[in-house]
Amino acid sequence: MSAADLKVGSERVVAAPRRLRLSPLQWVGVGLGGVFVLSVLRVVTGAQDVDSSGLLIAAFGLAVPIALAGLGGLWSERAGVVNIGLEGMMILGTWGAGFLGYHLGPWMGLVGAVIGGMLGALIHAIATVTFGVDHIVSGVALNIVALGFAKYLSVRFFSTLPGGGPTQSPPLDELPTFSIPGLSDALYEIEQKHIFFISDLAGVLRAFCTDVSVVTILAVLLFIATFYILWRSAFGLRLRSVGESPVAAESLGVNVLRYKFVAVLISGGLAGLGGGFLALVAANLFRDGQTGGRGYIGLAAMIFGNWRPGGLLAGSVLFGYTDAAQLRGGGTTVHAFLLLLAVLLIGIGVWQVVRRGRLAQGVVAVIVGSLVGTWYALTDIVPPELSSTTPYVTTLLVLAFASQRLRMPAADGQIYRKGEGH
Amino acid sequence: MRHATKVAAVVAAAALGLAACSSNDTSGSSSTSAGGSSSAAAGKKIVVGIAYGVGGRGDQSFNASAAVGLDKAKADLGITYKEATQVNGESEAATEERLQQFVDAGATHVIGVGFAYAKAIGAVAKANPEVHFAIIDDASADSAGPNVAQLTFAEEQGSFLVGAAAALKSKTNTVGFVGGVATDLIKKFEAGYIAGAKAANPSIVVKSQYLSQPPDFSGFNDPAKGKTAAEGLYQGGADVVYHAAGGSGSGVFTAAKAAGKLAIGVDSDQALTATPDVRDVILTSMIKKVDVAVYDFLKSGSEGKDITGNKVYDLKAGGVDYATTGGKVDDIKAKLDDYKAKIISGQITVPTKP
Repeated sequence: MSAADLKVGSERVVAAPRRLRLSPLQWVGVGLGGVFVLSVLRVVTGAQDVDSSGLLIAAFGLAVPIALAGLGGLWSERAGVVNIGLEGMMILGTWGAGFLGYHLGPWMGLVGAVIGGMLGALIHAIATVTFGVDHIVSGVALNIVALGFAKYLSVRFFSTLPGGGPTQSPPLDELPTFSIPGLSDALYEIEQKHIFFISDLAGVLRAFCTDVSVVTILAVLLFIATFYILWRSAFGLRLRSVGESPVAAESLGVNVLRYKFVAVLISGGLAGLGGGFLALVAANLFRDGQTGGRGYIGLAAMIFGNWRPGGLLAGSVLFGYTDAAQLRGGGTTVHAFLLLLAVLLIGIGVWQVVRRGRLAQGVVAVIVGSLVGTWYALTDIVPPELSSTTPYVTTLLVLAFASQRLRMPAADGQIYRKGEGH
Repeated sequence: MRHATKVAAVVAAAALGLAACSSNDTSGSSSTSAGGSSSAAAGKKIVVGIAYGVGGRGDQSFNASAAVGLDKAKADLGITYKEATQVNGESEAATEERLQQFVDAGATHVIGVGFAYAKAIGAVAKANPEVHFAIIDDASADSAGPNVAQLTFAEEQGSFLVGAAAALKSKTNTVGFVGGVATDLIKKFEAGYIAGAKAANPSIVVKSQYLSQPPDFSGFNDPAKGKTAAEGLYQGGADVVYHAAGGSGSGVFTAAKAAGKLAIGVDSDQALTATPDVRDVILTSMIKKVDVAVYDFLKSGSEGKDITGNKVYDLKAGGVDYATTGGKVDDIKAKLDDYKAKIISGQITVPTKP
């Protein structure tokens, strides 16, 4: 850690990351292209579930808690505090949602989730910002403490309630979901006809207008708000400057510790809300162990997204999509992905050789692609032991390809003490 | 470099998290409470030490069922007992210590509820040959001993009956199965279910889905995944789904309710224990009578005829059954009872592996 101090003040030359600058119309084109690829895949492989509205609705449902946890991580890390305690904050969020959700109704359950997450964040903030504890140590400790604490609280408060028990809360009331009635049904009819491209498009559109939870809408709004606050407001500029160079920020009069503290608290509130989604929307009760490592996945999605909201959202949806695919009929759909992967790898390989002149990389990609293609051709289904790992393998693959371009906030994870730069 | 450190940290932490998950079935808070004593009835005086697994006495399922048997023994046989519950992620030594404490406190009979106690029971039983031990759900060599009763259940037989019920009730000729974790124990449920469905309707399609693979045991505690998997099965044409997924089962019921289809419960009569608003989608439940096994063990003990070795509670012994709450299987009850009779008589042998 002391070596990090030497870097302070030294000049760093960072290549400006290449950014996709597309007009809205071009984005629609990209979306349609994606649907086209999936519909070709569906027709060629016969795996009807590849882009069904049911799969996409499930994918969004699985993506939201991960995305919210990741968004929490984004706030904290943009202010320079590594937040591996997201899992613990989520756990406290699920308990808060269960407790207030049962006693005061589901809307207050959401508030309880945010409060629960923020309580966890308070511990993390006091430890890392005020006392300068190593961020990883504090985060891991928080995860362990939160697990035990939620367990204790549920034994203490849920055991005696009707329908509750030491490992779960009583059933909670549901939050509203929205569908556009006429449109949703009409699109479903078109989807069921299995016409090339048209049905696929209908399926994708249907997923956006069927059973959308109010919390999902809230999550989307929070993503938009995060972008505008962090990248378009003075407050956000200061917060990010604290994560990039706290010494410079402090010399310009920014109260570094206060910004870090606030960022970690917001981070916990968002992660807690993700836990609240799990308890109130994805299930209808608090259950011990319900988060199942989603906080860590959220953190990975944030790194995947290069510490930016758009990329984080893409990472979460990709994870949710592959997870939903393996949970719904697993083997067959995952088997179809093999073909896509094979074609992609061979395509990348050829491109590397022809356009980049990188012979070795290109040949390796083509060989691996061919092997995957052979696997596809020789089997009909991916065994469940392997298909259940799809979301993780996909995340790893994309991270491996993308990691060259990732850039974390410069002072992320460093401990800062007030007046350090003087 | 920093970046690599960070990714490594994430991976390490995730591994920690998963490791914690993998010991999920041993979770539970540590609490020891003495049961009340009542006037001793006829027979030997029995002092019981019972060690629960997941969730302890109030889990509305497996452990609760064991507690029911214990309470019945207390009322009928006048036993006294002490209770304790396993702690999340504890060491093998701590598990053994809990059992040894019962012995030190004068217990004559010690019960370990759940296969997580297998090794501990084996070790403590060896050290205390004068005390009688019982373990639920394990028949491995780990727990075997001359003073150990290994109480297991023929889950496949009960699952056969609910499988037949599912096939008889299916209008789409497709039924589904959701398993929590792909362990041998849960595969027994799947095997029996498939066999039962095929027996009732040879052309039926049975689709199976597991929520996690061991050593990741999160599939028993993730209602969101249970719901996703069940939705997939319902949308894939199944109209009855049987779950053997513990706490994830509530997600299966929610999905059934949303789809307007049917589901089958497990372990206890879930039409009585599940959330009230989903009870009407529960066709039947495969009941595993842990209470019968516990009571039986203690009753035999009080008569001085202690059970040792592996005792399988099958249909014949009344250890497994299907539930009739809600009246949804009343019209096919005759057929199900016919299968039951055939299994008991040995005319039908139910496979234990799918």
